[in-house]
Amino acid sequence: MTHQTHAYHMVNPSPWPLTGALSAFLLTSGLIMWFHFYYTLLLATGLLASAMTMFQWWRDVVREGTYQGHHTPPVQKGLRYGMVLFIISEIFFFAGFFWAFYHSSLAPTPQTGGHWPPTGILPLNPMEVPLLNTAVLLASGVTITWAHHSLMEANRKESAQALLMTIALGAYFTYLQMSEYSETSFTISDGIYGSTFFMATGFHGLHVIIGTTFLATCYIRQQMYHFTSSHHFGFEAAAWYWHFVDVVWLFLYISIYWWGS
Amino acid sequence: MAEEMKSKVKNYKTAPFDSRFPNQNQTRNCWQNYLDFHRCEKALNAKGDDVSVCQWYRRVYKSLCPISWVTDWDEQRADGTFPGKI
Repeated sequence: MTHQTHAYHMVNPSPWPLTGALSAFLLTSGLIMWFHFYYTLLLATGLLASAMTMFQWWRDVVREGTYQGHHTPPVQKGLRYGMVLFIISEIFFFAGFFWAFYHSSLAPTPQTGGHWPPTGILPLNPMEVPLLNTAVLLASGVTITWAHHSLMEANRKESAQALLMTIALGAYFTYLQMSEYSETSFTISDGIYGSTFFMATGFHGLHVIIGTTFLATCYIRQQMYHFTSSHHFGFEAAAWYWHFVDVVWLFLYISIYWWGS
Repeated sequence: MAEEMKSKVKNYKTAPFDSRFPNQNQTRNCWQNYLDFHRCEKALNAKGDDVSVCQWYRRVYKSLCPISWVTDWDEQRADGTFPGKI
């Protein structure tokens, strides 16, 4: 018996789960050292270690799938389940921040002056940059769908173009949001409004950056001929994640920017 | 009308049931009456009218509100940092 007689992937031993766990510890203890003692070395080491873990782990997944052929249909099915479950967990993550926002804004306490937005808070105008941001992300949802269809039709040129446009729109969103952050008259420490606003939009922004990075790696892989017209799960996972990020923004825009003003 | 009000204030024992605030959490009841008393006072002082009609709200918030809240709010009003609209 010199070869496997099943379609599943028995992964070779790997150091990355261990380095991932170690970098998680460095990240958490690093945050404590930074918060309490203004000491950043531990946190910086943790960020570097986790970035390297992610890079090497996912590079190995690409090697195993694209170059070694381990991603048979049942294996791909498992990867799909995995991505779906991960995104569901992220939905719950954001649900917490939305819960906090609605808890505080539906029944405002005396501390806020009994109304929402609280006394002294000047919210951003939802019809200005936030509306543009909404248009940008909705458009990026269209371009990534275009990229996917082009990919499935083996149209390399259009697939690359559409993917690049999606990445550009994602970067534009990040740029716009960063400039909005510098324009707010309130900070994260300005009462419950500041806390709920920046926790929810801040984590969303982080997810936009993660999603844009994921899309960029898809672009590189596409240029390196990793995807076929029928097998490109990495791209699909990135697209699912990107649509999730877009939907979270829609909820943010309607709840916090529009209703919450 | 004013006679009824005066006798109601005279016979005051504690804050009566207010159907606007039917539940266990009476925070809003305290807050609303605190606001209403000071708004009443401000409005009538501005018109030069008799402020004693505002006494009902004062009685109610004095009965309902934790003393520390009232102290904090009075200090905030003095500082100009009171978040409520009076």
